[in-house]
Amino acid sequence: MPPWLHIFTLELAVLGIALLVLLCDALSPLGARALGWLTAIGLVAVLVASFAVELAGSAPHGVYVSGAWVLYFQRLFLCAGILGVLGSIDWLETRVARRPAEYLVLLLASLVGMMLLAGVRDWVLLVVAFELMGIPLYVLCAYAKLDGPAREPKLAAEAGLKLFVTGAASTALTLFGLALVVGASGSSSLDGPQSANVSALTGVGMLLVLAGFGFKIGAAPFHMWIPDTYQGAPTPFVAFLSVAPKAGGLAALVVVLLSGWSRQHELWAPALAVIAAASMAVGNLFALPQKDARRLLGYSGIAQMGYVLVALCARSEQGIAMAIFFIASYVFTNFGVFLVVHAAAENSGGHSLDEIAGLSRRSPWLGAALLVFVLSLAGIPFAVGFWAKLFVLLAAYQAGLVWLVVTGVVLSVVALFYYLSVARSTFMADGRSAEPVRSGLPLRAAIVLCLAAVVGLGLWPGPLLAEATRAASAFAGGP
Amino acid sequence: MTLANCILLASLLFSIGVYGLLTRRQAVAMLLCVELMLNAANIVFVSFAHFRGGPGQIFAIFALAITVAEVAVGLALVLLLYRKHGDTAIDLASETKG
Repeated sequence: MPPWLHIFTLELAVLGIALLVLLCDALSPLGARALGWLTAIGLVAVLVASFAVELAGSAPHGVYVSGAWVLYFQRLFLCAGILGVLGSIDWLETRVARRPAEYLVLLLASLVGMMLLAGVRDWVLLVVAFELMGIPLYVLCAYAKLDGPAREPKLAAEAGLKLFVTGAASTALTLFGLALVVGASGSSSLDGPQSANVSALTGVGMLLVLAGFGFKIGAAPFHMWIPDTYQGAPTPFVAFLSVAPKAGGLAALVVVLLSGWSRQHELWAPALAVIAAASMAVGNLFALPQKDARRLLGYSGIAQMGYVLVALCARSEQGIAMAIFFIASYVFTNFGVFLVVHAAAENSGGHSLDEIAGLSRRSPWLGAALLVFVLSLAGIPFAVGFWAKLFVLLAAYQAGLVWLVVTGVVLSVVALFYYLSVARSTFMADGRSAEPVRSGLPLRAAIVLCLAAVVGLGLWPGPLLAEATRAASAFAGGP
Repeated sequence: MTLANCILLASLLFSIGVYGLLTRRQAVAMLLCVELMLNAANIVFVSFAHFRGGPGQIFAIFALAITVAEVAVGLALVLLLYRKHGDTAIDLASETKG
């Protein structure tokens, strides 16, 4: 066993769970519920182990460096994985009862790709990890039973195809850009060219790579796939899709821009600022007229990615810390809101805002949970989203990006309209259905976990903030 | 044959791919256009490696493997579309709206 293998302990453990699930499914028909719980408990064990096992170190030739920075993201992805599995169990049992194992294995494979992303320092490894994260997502998107209820499979096929075409095109963009950058520098290391002035060809390559990343994290103007995919794919999976790959993309983006290409910031910083502003504008303004909860949340997610990119534009250690604090807050909040929408829609039959209206009469606690999540997304004080938005804008202000801060503040006032209208219709309006909401234990557990994280971190943001700061300083100070 | 010519060829291929992706309405044709774009990237990798050395060849092999995995999934999705609609025109897949 090579002496550096311990840095991949967590990834190998997740891979082990995937193999175990496949094996159990092949040997005995356990059913969705047992396999789902097995996966969730396994991931919890890996998460606990991440606090107990020594993981710092680096692989030969420095292609992979593990440390506090990587651990922060890996724990976040494990949390997202646990929530994703718990949220899907009931859906798997009722809709795709005969093949739950593949769903779980694909989810775990994607998780391994994400967990690798934060530590890569080599372009080849980065591309492979990115695709390991991405390819299972295309399949999961279209994972509705072929003979399922009426329009569901058609929509799922459409969602999968749209995600695939944009995903594959963005891979091609990234690879073409990379070919120019790597070809000119003659090395596949993430450390870019030494001088601030690069040739025109390398510059074009860098911007193409940035556009490719823009597609992956769903930032405007590369966001077209988001609303359609969110509307068509299975909702419990969309909850995962809307947070985890974006956190993965962010981790890779930080490593590439602020470690590899930090000397060429005059080239990419203006482009990044424009993407950030455009995401906030497009996301918040297009969310206003939406009638479908998933499309609305899709556009709101585009806006939230804009805020993360604002923190990256600051190009400071503090900015990185705030960006990763923001993404952690976003993971729990957005996961929660999608799972509540899923629980409500499973009973009323649709995801439109009209059908979610009056949720508090059908289930007071789900209504209250939805209210908390929406207020956190809107950035109302004492939910974690408030601190996240505040810190991000503060970091940008200290870096002198006043115009971005003003844009962000103005657009978050616009965002209040649609977030609060969702909250209002949950409590005030009469819904179409008066049937009480019934949801299974795993789904309820996942929602409660998200709720606990959003409220807990809203009241005590200190520990997470300290972790994020530690991770960012570990990132800035090398391994 | 010079490096500049190779990059020019790759850029042309890439542009044809992008143009086709935007104008074609058949899912299979769109898949082929994505392939063109990916192969344009491989030409750049290999030509840089040929003229200047460096890790381009290795990168191209990894890129090929990734492309194969991606296209396998893509064809499966096209097949799914065909089974649901009896056709692979991408316009059939436009039922989501807002």
